[in-house]
Amino acid sequence: MTDPPDVFAELGRLLTPERLLHDPRATGEGVKVCIIDSGVERSVLEEKFTRGGQPIHAIEGALFSSDRAQPLPYDGHQSAPHGTTVADVVLSVAPRSKLYSADVFGPRGACEVEVVIRALRWAMDVWSCQIVNLSLGVSEQRLQQVQKRQQLLRAVEEAYYRDVLVVAAAHNDHPLERSYPAAFAPPLLSVDKGLFAGPLQFAYHLSETVEFRAHGRGYLGPFATELATSWAAPHLAGVAARILSMRPGLKPFEMKTILYWISRSRDKRTEPG
Amino acid sequence: MPEVIGPETILVVDDEEPVRKTFEEWLAGAGLGCRVLAAADAESALVQANQSIVDLAILDWNLGAGNDGLQLLEDLALFNPDIVAIMVTGFAHQATPLDAMRMGVRDYLDKNQDLDRTAFLRAVRRQLDRIRPARRQRAVHVSLAAFRSAVEKVLPLVQSAAALSDPLPLPAAISNLFRFLLRTTGAQDGVLLVRSYDATREPPELVRAFSAAGEELPAPAVPFARSVAGTAVSLQEPSVMSRPDEAASGMLELETFERNRQSLLAAPMVVAPGLHAVLELFDKQGSRGPELFGEADRRLAAAAADFGVEVLRQALAERTAQRALFDAVGAALGATEPLAQALAPSAPRPEEPPPADVLARLETALRTGPESSVETGDALRLAEAVRELAVRHGPGAVRHCLQLVQATRRFLDEMAAGGEANHAGRPQGARP
Repeated sequence: MTDPPDVFAELGRLLTPERLLHDPRATGEGVKVCIIDSGVERSVLEEKFTRGGQPIHAIEGALFSSDRAQPLPYDGHQSAPHGTTVADVVLSVAPRSKLYSADVFGPRGACEVEVVIRALRWAMDVWSCQIVNLSLGVSEQRLQQVQKRQQLLRAVEEAYYRDVLVVAAAHNDHPLERSYPAAFAPPLLSVDKGLFAGPLQFAYHLSETVEFRAHGRGYLGPFATELATSWAAPHLAGVAARILSMRPGLKPFEMKTILYWISRSRDKRTEPG
Repeated sequence: MPEVIGPETILVVDDEEPVRKTFEEWLAGAGLGCRVLAAADAESALVQANQSIVDLAILDWNLGAGNDGLQLLEDLALFNPDIVAIMVTGFAHQATPLDAMRMGVRDYLDKNQDLDRTAFLRAVRRQLDRIRPARRQRAVHVSLAAFRSAVEKVLPLVQSAAALSDPLPLPAAISNLFRFLLRTTGAQDGVLLVRSYDATREPPELVRAFSAAGEELPAPAVPFARSVAGTAVSLQEPSVMSRPDEAASGMLELETFERNRQSLLAAPMVVAPGLHAVLELFDKQGSRGPELFGEADRRLAAAAADFGVEVLRQALAERTAQRALFDAVGAALGATEPLAQALAPSAPRPEEPPPADVLARLETALRTGPESSVETGDALRLAEAVRELAVRHGPGAVRHCLQLVQATRRFLDEMAAGGEANHAGRPQGARP
């Protein structure tokens, strides 16, 4: 005769990934997410989500460039469609999160490491974002300057110590190619692409310095259906926003632990036997 | 030819030979570093002035035979308007100082009052001290004016000739690149988009599109920020899309050549800061029909993009160097603009051809350059003809000339098209 389950076992059964992620409060409400990318076409997303019966918070933002210390005001437009696709993924997963568009490409269509660092600091200091999504990176061979690499690392570490979760896309050819900032994995969430059954699916999959894999297909815009780390990172950022909306004070390492736990719990349930 | 700064020339004019000889000896022995000329009368003085530029004239007030020094000075000023004079007179107190000063008389020496070597040379030195800086300045101005005149003539000629003799046959390079890509990937068509952005330019964004045959297409209408190419650049690697029309939305617009496609592969190239290019391939055709571009196609496109970057960089480097040279010469020309205005003669200068030695060097340089579609000599003659046309008849005449050229091209195109259709055995008017 077996012992009846104790209260902890009972709690453990209640605390499942699905219950957590599908909790009615897990909408991203109260969570500020910065999209450091090529800008966001605000009206497109507003229309899409209003049409779907899920109005979103007004998207704010700024345009960053290497020749100005202060960013230019956000005019509601993208510099390229990439950023809008990324923002759409975050909102598809956590529709009530408040988005901030940090356009680091601008009309020149090029981005420098210093500009990314400036945008990251702005997201922390001015917008007080809890999550920063970076669906961009510089491959290792193009970021040979140790000083620049260090500056980027320091900015990422600063985010970690200020409880800001940075989610960064790995290189699409990972692990054959490393890219920064994703390769700074411990203080941030580094994300590879994978094919999953749904947008809330992801997996802990340590490969080189990259720890997680998330759903790699987007929903809106050109190349969105292409499997890419650019679309995987905002899926995990959206998942983190859902969790943060229920527990806003979570630290990055706590978030990483929860994501790890969710992934392992799902694995156990799918294991044979 | 611009004047070379040499020693000053002093002309002594006196009808009394002993006086003249004395003055000559004093000047020769003083170590002034000047050339000394002497004349006994006005006529021989003018002959000397016609042969040499006289800077300082030492003139006898009364030259005899009814001539006076002041009249001679007026005549000498026709040869050099900046001439100054010292008048030697026996009655200086009777001179008309105001008129004389106006005409260039800067000092008087009185034959009847203590005219010795020291007083004479003191007066000469005082004038030379004034003449020398002014003379140097004049020489610089003359040189600059000559430089400016030469550059004004040569710069547009070099620019036109450079434009006609494209240093890189870009269309041919693009065509070869696409021939390779279409064959290896099975794509049915392709386009190369080149986009440059310069915030200081108007408009800041310029986009050009080239067909797979290397021909320039009408300028793309979609802003880069809402284009397929813009997304490809953000993704930084070759990306595939099926049925682009379905992806078009408020955030994305399609160019005409991207519409009604089954599949699209876009490979970005970062050529230089502010300069991007994107290779787009359309409609992959496999052995069993239409297919989506695969991983192998993506890798091929990436390799082709790497090659394309080098081709475009080379073209850009050529043009950048050329542009920098034109800009530098243009800036030098601009810097001398105030001088040109100050020196502008009241009557228009007669039109002269550009310096022959410059033309010869230009022709040699063009001939040794990369292969050109236009003969070097023809390019220069055409550029020079257009320049002359602009100088003589203004920009309207150049526009008329352009219309004639375009009309000729249309006529020849039509002739050629008709000929080809016939050669291919197609009925007249049929489209290939």
